[in-house]
Amino acid sequence: MNNCFGFISLLLFSVLPFTCVAKEYKLILKDHLFYPAEIIVPANTKLKLLIENQDSTPEEFDSFDLNREKVLYPNRRSVIYIGPLSPGRYEFFGEFSPNTARGAVLVEGKTDADN
Amino acid sequence: MLITSLLMSINQLLPVVILLVLLQSLLKLNQRMLIATAFVGLLCSIIYVQSAAWLSQLFDYRGLEFSQMLLCVIVYVASLVSCKQRHLFALLAIVAVMALYLSHYFIYLVGFWHNTDTAKPLLIGTSLGIGICGSFGVLLLFLLHSVRARFGVYPLMLFLAFNASAKLLIALDLASQIDLINITSNYFDWRAVLVENSELGRVLKALVGYEATPSKTALWLYLAAVLVFIGTSIVFTRQFSQKEPS
Repeated sequence: MNNCFGFISLLLFSVLPFTCVAKEYKLILKDHLFYPAEIIVPANTKLKLLIENQDSTPEEFDSFDLNREKVLYPNRRSVIYIGPLSPGRYEFFGEFSPNTARGAVLVEGKTDADN
Repeated sequence: MLITSLLMSINQLLPVVILLVLLQSLLKLNQRMLIATAFVGLLCSIIYVQSAAWLSQLFDYRGLEFSQMLLCVIVYVASLVSCKQRHLFALLAIVAVMALYLSHYFIYLVGFWHNTDTAKPLLIGTSLGIGICGSFGVLLLFLLHSVRARFGVYPLMLFLAFNASAKLLIALDLASQIDLINITSNYFDWRAVLVENSELGRVLKALVGYEATPSKTALWLYLAAVLVFIGTSIVFTRQFSQKEPS
């Protein structure tokens, strides 16, 4: 049993990080809308999204393209790291208000293959 | 609001129902145990919801992810140990999965319940979601019972291995979300084949953790977790059958 736990721990922590400083982008949720609705970011860069929910209701940041999901509590800040990403459009939305709270991360620049 | 409530309730309830049915088919848990577990699970979810806003501000806004990662690991390990016919670990897995998923839905319910315009669609959407997940659970239960009767417990263990390993994928995404690990940027893109937010994509996600754009790290972790689960559960089953008089 101990071997089993040891192996699982090894699996989880073997991919531990060489963390680098991520560029910060601020996102505001107000009246169930994301501001700005589109964020233009460079390719192959790690990003830190600082999201402030200014609504009185909670929201869930969700993105199938980015594999991210996080509850945004009313009048609180949340942080989500994304990337490094290849050029393209990565959509996100508020799961509690999917018709209004929508946005996208537009990744621009050269890929590693282009360099 | 009605559609959102329906989708939210299905998204959050289906993974709970699937694990519950899987463990029930595998371990034949008795009804009293299940009712007590459901009650404890609901209580844990409510406590988790109450503390979630405070928790989210801890560790440089990373507290919620840490707690969710812990719950994911508990689900995986407890599901694995339950293959040794340890009923308590199966119940622990159910409580952890309830706290992980139902807390999301409770946050949604609590957030919008006070609004008179949204209360009715919330109630209807939730009722429909519970009905759909209940029907799905009953059908799955009959399917798994017939599979067990025909092929034995190993196909169920394989299914449980995929289902439980999917929780480690969630933990991996959460770890990446808070910059705890670096995941490879080389994503596979299967969105042209099956998008995650389609009906089948959502069901497959709840059943076996389907992701349309997984990273290589995620695939390797998933594969390793499934293999460890299968290997260990086979050892556990043989140990148990040797102890049990035939």
